[in-house]
Amino acid sequence: MIELRQLTKRYGEVAVVDGLSFDVRPGVVTGFLGPNGAGKTSTMRMILGLDRPTSGSATIGGRRYADLPVPLREVGALLDAHAVHPRRTAFDHLLSLAYGNGIGRRRVEEVLGLVGLADVAGRRPGGFSLGMKQRLGIAVALLGDPPVVLLDEPVNGLDPEGIRWIRTLTRSLAAEGRTILLSSHLMSEMALTADHLVVIGRGRLIADTGLETFVQSAARQGVLVRTPDARRLASLLRESGATVRPGADGGLLVTVMSSAEVGALAAAHGIVLHELTPRRASLEEAYLELTGDSVEFATSAAGVVS
Amino acid sequence: MTAYGVLRSEWVKFRSVRAMLGCLAGAVVAAGSYGYLFGMAAAREYLGASAADRAAFDPTETAFRALVLAGVLVSAVGVLAVTTEYAAGTMPVSITALPRRGLLLLGKGAVVALTTLLIGPPLALLSFTLSQAALAAQGLPSAGAGDPGVPAALLGAGLFTGLIGLYGMALGFLLRRSAGAISLGTFLLILPGMASLFPKPVARWIVTWWPSAAGARIFAVHPGTELLAPLAGAGVLAATVLVLLCAAVAVFQRRDA
Repeated sequence: MIELRQLTKRYGEVAVVDGLSFDVRPGVVTGFLGPNGAGKTSTMRMILGLDRPTSGSATIGGRRYADLPVPLREVGALLDAHAVHPRRTAFDHLLSLAYGNGIGRRRVEEVLGLVGLADVAGRRPGGFSLGMKQRLGIAVALLGDPPVVLLDEPVNGLDPEGIRWIRTLTRSLAAEGRTILLSSHLMSEMALTADHLVVIGRGRLIADTGLETFVQSAARQGVLVRTPDARRLASLLRESGATVRPGADGGLLVTVMSSAEVGALAAAHGIVLHELTPRRASLEEAYLELTGDSVEFATSAAGVVS
Repeated sequence: MTAYGVLRSEWVKFRSVRAMLGCLAGAVVAAGSYGYLFGMAAAREYLGASAADRAAFDPTETAFRALVLAGVLVSAVGVLAVTTEYAAGTMPVSITALPRRGLLLLGKGAVVALTTLLIGPPLALLSFTLSQAALAAQGLPSAGAGDPGVPAALLGAGLFTGLIGLYGMALGFLLRRSAGAISLGTFLLILPGMASLFPKPVARWIVTWWPSAAGARIFAVHPGTELLAPLAGAGVLAATVLVLLCAAVAVFQRRDA
């Protein structure tokens, strides 16, 4: 279990991470989402003791990372797949990290097999594709067979087969009872992999909720309306407090109002409707809606933070 | 997380990067070629000198001067042991594997110190042998490796190169960039060679107290009394390196990785 309490990182006036508190629980894949620059990597770096928090704390099983006696046996992490010396062989890269944690050559060979790099163990990563480097990074994370795994954008640059492999791997790691924190920009992938979501924006918590709840919270508010009298309906809807945006091919996308209410309003004013569809948003839409801009997320945050 | 494990870990990193091994090889070439050139230069000086100066000629005086130049490459070994990690972006990975940063620095220091210490005496012997061969080839007085004071200078070379290796490593931790740390390290090492450019009192101070000049006193076979005694000179260098290492530890532990 990873616990963050009021975790904050400031560079001068700018707060990259701002009073972040959440738990990452074992047995599920926790997706870590946020726009670029939201503070995901900074948060992970503080969990790993690489960056010093300005205030607040991040602990793993109650201890700070720096206090773990044999860190690789407790936490595995992939932050940057490019972080390999181009001339140090995959095997030596792993071995140099293994030795400091009392892990031997056998386990190094084992994880190389596990990530499918056994054949290139003796090759220099300078010539590796991004996908191979990602696999090597995963091998580092799994070296100590740790109960807690942090992966920052592990599917970046992977081909469909690689993406699927990461998905299966993370899901099976979670099924074994491990604590998994996984960040990604690929929403469709996150929807397939994560059970729980932590969404941050500008260093602050926006949502900490189950994947289903998260998607529904956004979907609940969306209604697609098609009418020949769009301008009149739109202004009526706005007067009643709904948010109206132009939807696909002439339709109106109404939020903060149920489809029943939209229908009732149209009927009351004798407006003909061609379509009235409650829209179930995808994770991507839910995410974009929530992180779209600071004003929007400030208003919707109260409703979503659980 | 044993000290032995940390040492093995750092050794794997060290042996698997060609840049460091290349610098060690370069140091051998520098010690040999400059050793010979300094011998030749000493011979020319001898041939042009007065009878009184010839009588006072000490063939060992220039025998180890090449070690300061080879030291440039030895310090680069120390620099690269650190900066290759920053350049490749592996320092955060190394720190997550070994979050006790003091221990990480210590392990790296042990590997750098050991390798650079071990290469010192062979470098010194090479430089000594070739410089004396250059003198002997012209029928001039030369010294043998077994002459009084020479074995001590040869062993002392290990102390010198070991300290210079650690000096490079400290600069690597402080500056994090290969180019910056190597340039600065080189400049500071060879500054005494440019002492004559300064006003006399300053030049005098540099030749006596500048850490690389003081440290090179370990090679003095006939020390005399004009400059620091060999071990006192080495002490000045050691103290300087210790200060740099303390600064490196402080910065490395405090800084975001």
